[in-house]
Amino acid sequence: MKSTTRFNFLLYGMYLCLLIVSAGLFRTQVINGSDYREASERNRIRLIRREAPRGNIYDRNGLPVATNRPALYAYIIPEDFDPKDIPELSPLLGLTEWDIRQRISKARGASFTPVLLKSDLSLDTAMQIEEKRPKFSGVFIQVKAIRFYPQHETAAHVVGYIGKMTKEEYEKLDHSVYGYDSWIGRSGIERLYDQMLRGEDGGVQLEVNARGVPINVLSEKDVTVGHDLYISIDANFESKVRPLLAGQKGAILVGDIKTGGLLTAISTPGFDPNVFVTPEQKKERLDVIGSKEKPLLNRGFNGLYPPGSVFKLLTAIAGLETGVITPHTTFTCRGFFKLNRKSRPYKCWYKGGHGRVDFYRALERSCNVYFYNVGRLLGEKRLAEYARKFGFGSPVDLSFPNVSGVVPDQEWKKKAVHDQWYTGDTISFAIGQGYLLVSPLQILQMVTTIATDGRVSKPLLIFDKNEPSKTELGIHPETFKALKQGMLQVVQSDYGTGQLARVDFEKLAGKTGTAQAPPGLPHAWMGAFFPYEDPKIAIVVFVERGKSGGIAAANMVKEVVRIWNEAYGTAVI
Amino acid sequence: MVPRLFKEIHWPMFFVILILTGIGIASIYSATFRMQENYAVKQLGWAGIAVFVFFVTVWVGYRPFFNMSYLLYGISIVLLILVLIMGEVRSGASRWIDVGPFALQPSELAKISTIIVLADLFAGRPIFFGQKRILLLASILVLIPCVLVLKQPDLGSALVFIPMFLAIIFLWGVRIRYLVIFFIGVIASMPFAWHFLKPYQQKRILVFLDPSIDPIGVSYTAIQSKIAVGSGQIWGKGWLQGTQTHLDFVPEHHTDFIFSVIGEEFGFLGCLLLVLLFALLITYAFQIMQNTTDLRARLLATGISVILFFQVAVNIGMTIGLAPITGIPLPLVSYGGSSLVMTFFGLGLLESIYKERSIF
Repeated sequence: MKSTTRFNFLLYGMYLCLLIVSAGLFRTQVINGSDYREASERNRIRLIRREAPRGNIYDRNGLPVATNRPALYAYIIPEDFDPKDIPELSPLLGLTEWDIRQRISKARGASFTPVLLKSDLSLDTAMQIEEKRPKFSGVFIQVKAIRFYPQHETAAHVVGYIGKMTKEEYEKLDHSVYGYDSWIGRSGIERLYDQMLRGEDGGVQLEVNARGVPINVLSEKDVTVGHDLYISIDANFESKVRPLLAGQKGAILVGDIKTGGLLTAISTPGFDPNVFVTPEQKKERLDVIGSKEKPLLNRGFNGLYPPGSVFKLLTAIAGLETGVITPHTTFTCRGFFKLNRKSRPYKCWYKGGHGRVDFYRALERSCNVYFYNVGRLLGEKRLAEYARKFGFGSPVDLSFPNVSGVVPDQEWKKKAVHDQWYTGDTISFAIGQGYLLVSPLQILQMVTTIATDGRVSKPLLIFDKNEPSKTELGIHPETFKALKQGMLQVVQSDYGTGQLARVDFEKLAGKTGTAQAPPGLPHAWMGAFFPYEDPKIAIVVFVERGKSGGIAAANMVKEVVRIWNEAYGTAVI
Repeated sequence: MVPRLFKEIHWPMFFVILILTGIGIASIYSATFRMQENYAVKQLGWAGIAVFVFFVTVWVGYRPFFNMSYLLYGISIVLLILVLIMGEVRSGASRWIDVGPFALQPSELAKISTIIVLADLFAGRPIFFGQKRILLLASILVLIPCVLVLKQPDLGSALVFIPMFLAIIFLWGVRIRYLVIFFIGVIASMPFAWHFLKPYQQKRILVFLDPSIDPIGVSYTAIQSKIAVGSGQIWGKGWLQGTQTHLDFVPEHHTDFIFSVIGEEFGFLGCLLLVLLFALLITYAFQIMQNTTDLRARLLATGISVILFFQVAVNIGMTIGLAPITGIPLPLVSYGGSSLVMTFFGLGLLESIYKERSIF
């Protein structure tokens, strides 16, 4: 019998619940029905969403690089609007009557939802509309923030830009955070830190009368402003350095060695992020996106190129560390190098040959034959091992996307090229040619590592009050000492390949590179640190098809150091 | 074969199901006829598939499903894990797996397969000793799909498992003190469950308690759906005549909030009819339970009818502010293929229990 009791208990329990639901329906529909009917007929509640202003982004000196400017938007609630007003409204807004009708009819089915009529109105227009009140019921002007990048091209690749969310994105995101019309970070810091920068939207529930005029605020939620961010870039400095690359494709990176913060990360050609946020600049926007020059590509972080002779620094480190050579080891350069009697000659850039050179002289004059020999003694395995140790082949730990590049070895070649590894590949690898591909940012990381004797700070783009985290590589100090001495000679010696970078107020050390990348002219590279005695900055200049590292890149390094010295230096010129 | 299939069918129940589905399609049409996508026709197609599934289930009978209960359960757990890994994300939740042209909602399968597993498990166990062990095992079987669904996050579908489980053990003959312990357990675990919820889910529950905290989000929906239902008054505004729902005041008005369309257009009498039809369905289910001698079938029928009831009560409750907004569809009525087909499958099982009620 007990089970029958339970059976009935369950059944009648369900009946009871349904009865309660029915009672609820009775209360809502019959007792309070007329109130709700009235509310629905007048449809008197309007919801107006207010977008939270996005947080600003400042450079290291507090100069705004991304901020908001107020802009006026004209909206219309179709249901509250009298179409007779269209002829008068259209000249005011500079829209054709057909345009306005089109916009209104698009919203059919949701005629109480405000529809955008025109964005970024002039103050004059807005005033004229307001003056004609009570005409134009249903039309209202709202002040909204438009993203503005006051530095235009400067730091654009780092800061990034925002864009309107697509319908697909909206479907995927949490609707309580992202509104239908929300902006979202599309690239750079704007995208990486979107969560932080965006605040929380607010809004009001308004009660309106039959003509759509608000008569009462039912409830209101304040907007929460987004967080501000400080980046390590010095916008003033960058805007002075940028003209050096005018008309050329390339990248200049300058890192603050003490803090790890990047002072500048220029990539040319650049773009003005404002075209992505200004409603009236659709044509410019499409130009930037479609350009063959690829202005959106951040060449410093995401460009992949053969490093050429700059990579000899790494071959040198590997050689010294493994004991394959000492700074006193000499090789004879006759202008070419042969693996054996029958092999083809691998040329040195200096046809006459450098003669008998030791380690320092080899770096100073960038002797290919010397490093062919080192590379051959090392073998590709050890070369690849040290290249990876110095960060090649994987993205730089920057909390900002950048490419990994290619460090070739036997396994890689089998997979990617379906061919075995030849000793000739090792020879090319040793002087930064062949299959090796690096980003300018990775070169900056290597130069910084050398300049700091391996106690390198983690590179940063966002300002961080914490003590920079340092990593130890376990490389002997003598190795760095020898390398720095060599790099000093590159610039200071009258035979050095980088002597054009020499500045007259303090000692500079660096290494040039002229990377063959047929078809077309070679790429120009130079990596340097300054001052030699107590390094404060690391510099990488990369010029796509720049012809010669010793000329194009070295000249720019000199200018960068001069500009930096004016801003930060203590040396008297 | 065909005549034998249609013999001994509980026709009244089948017609109630069809009427409810018909009301659903009519309301979906009314809710969406201004939109580009033709949801009503799609739902009609789903109804066709669902009726087919219903009769296939009746033809196969409920017994084979018990034989493969753990297989079904395993499949649904795998699908639930898959949906978390590679599911399609909509509105911040991943509940669907894309299968060619349509999206599968594995939580629907999980509900039914969990019922089958539980019914199979309990029916074979005596109630007089060893209750603790069996209850522990059963709790784990329920908890796995429940947590996976909650992780999607789909609070509504996860909640459904609780009354289903309680009703099955209740009818099986669980000691009342264990039931009390379970109740206390559920209530005691709420503060922990609270942290498990996504902020927007927490917000929905807070809004239920105090509608003024989120005027632009959920509470706006809650108020608007209440206005929609209330404005239907006694007679309703008539089919296709609703204004609240058509004007987009109520979101998701063809899925979770379909009842606001019904309330607005068919009024209190229409709503009452709908509730009565569901009550009738539950009554039929209980009649079928009374007529079977197979304990497994009885527990299976319990689970199916409780799930149906719970979804109806909570769904209607949330449109009129009696329950928090949790995303539970109105069975047979809301738009959604997975839900419709699986509901018909469950009802098909019920039907087959009726058909095979007295095999001596």
